[in-house]
Amino acid sequence: MSRRVVITSIGVCSSIGFNLEQIADNLKEKRFYFERPSFDPQIVSCPIVSVDFKKSIGPFKDRRYLNRGALLCVAAAGDAARNSLLDKLSLHEAGLFVGTGPNMDVGGECPEIRQGKIGQSDLMALWMLRFLPNTPTSAISKITGIHGENLTIATACSASLQAIGEAYRKIKDGYLEIALAGGGDSRLSPGGILAYKKAQVIFAAGGDPQKASRPFDKQRKGFVPGEGGAFFMLEELRHARSRGAEIIAEIKGFGSSMDGYNMTAPQPEGLWAQVAIMNALAEARMSPEQIDVISAHGTGTSLNDEMEATLIDRIYGKHKPPVIAIKSWIGHASAACGALELAIFLACMQSCYLPEIRNLDESCHSGINFVRMGQNYSFSSGLIENFGFGGQNSALVVTKPPL
Amino acid sequence: MDFLSEIKSILTDILDIEGFRISEKTYLIRDLEAESIDLLELAVCLNAKFKIEVNDDEIYLKQLRAFIDEAQREKSDIIKYLAEKYPFLSPARIEEILADLDGGPALKIKDLISYVKWQRK
Repeated sequence: MSRRVVITSIGVCSSIGFNLEQIADNLKEKRFYFERPSFDPQIVSCPIVSVDFKKSIGPFKDRRYLNRGALLCVAAAGDAARNSLLDKLSLHEAGLFVGTGPNMDVGGECPEIRQGKIGQSDLMALWMLRFLPNTPTSAISKITGIHGENLTIATACSASLQAIGEAYRKIKDGYLEIALAGGGDSRLSPGGILAYKKAQVIFAAGGDPQKASRPFDKQRKGFVPGEGGAFFMLEELRHARSRGAEIIAEIKGFGSSMDGYNMTAPQPEGLWAQVAIMNALAEARMSPEQIDVISAHGTGTSLNDEMEATLIDRIYGKHKPPVIAIKSWIGHASAACGALELAIFLACMQSCYLPEIRNLDESCHSGINFVRMGQNYSFSSGLIENFGFGGQNSALVVTKPPL
Repeated sequence: MDFLSEIKSILTDILDIEGFRISEKTYLIRDLEAESIDLLELAVCLNAKFKIEVNDDEIYLKQLRAFIDEAQREKSDIIKYLAEKYPFLSPARIEEILADLDGGPALKIKDLISYVKWQRK
């Protein structure tokens, strides 16, 4: 009998909530938060304003080595581990799969370095840990007591969905019974924003900041950077059932691929993104017609949305499942976007609700069933897709829990 | 300058603990469970805060047991020997430390204060 993988707990830190109920409420009540950051009023960002890491992570002296993205990552992972109600021994053997991004707070973290010397005597002895991609992974292991197989994945905007996909495969293929998987990231520092601005990928225009993030709209002008973290306890179905765990959803299939085309721009037809999606569907043994809802990557950049709309049209043809774009609500959380979008997708599936793609006034593609108005909608399957800088593609198929 | 409260504030930060756990008599390692990386960070902070050069071997009495062995081998007076190695500790404090070795690392917060004061002279 083949092994099936289910999600048995979630931890989430997002700008629209810290658990699925809160997130569903905020989507229905249209509560969200975008602002023009004080350090750069030219751009718009989507920060999490009310998060107290000392409280959410608890006493933890290594917190000093966590940059903001890592803090969000560790806070969400700690929550997911606690919410799983797994005992210590089970956690010892669990796996850990973490999607992280680089610390780009260059001005804040690196005061002037001249000829290899730094003009600041209070720099921490282990300051370097704030830059290593696996620092949050080590911190999560220390906090949760997870000691099993692990991976730190740093594949840009595709990272956390890939982390979840890799964890799913490890369980499905019998290497693990349990794995904690997800990611966290924040680039809302002057250095991070500067980098995006130079690459000309973020929204940097005037007008109402609440209208800046507009995936698939003809007037879109780049993405709005956000931040956050989300983690999931993945478990083999029989293991979850034997301990009477709450089963939130089932992961059915995963696919990933690389464009090998351009360091930032997607391959315009989405040829390799399609391969990732078709592989996820094949693993799930599902046809495109069996996908009820698509959670699009939908960044609001000219190139991504054009490619993605064409791709969705090509794959789903006449079936036209509803397409949601979570980045219109929480901005683009970089490496964390896949995990956050999965959490928000599950909040929607649980509460039978589809949120509208915010600010989608005139669609860039006519053949797609973009969700234009928030609506009650019962559905039982979905495909989450994320495409990252460097031509990183990933797709995950999830369904309601097995009966 | 209130050395105790300055060091307290550094340690609450580094160890992520409440300040009430720290007094002059508190053991840095035995009571507060400071690990090697915490000691590294503490040295950096003392250096920046008090503008002193911190020698990790000296301030943390890292070679204490080796020095005691040396003194015994050379048949010298242990207290005098250690007072030379650790000029910031009073003979009375050295005596106290020697009597306290079985309980684990004897370093107390007050020794850190003595070191800082001595370095600032």
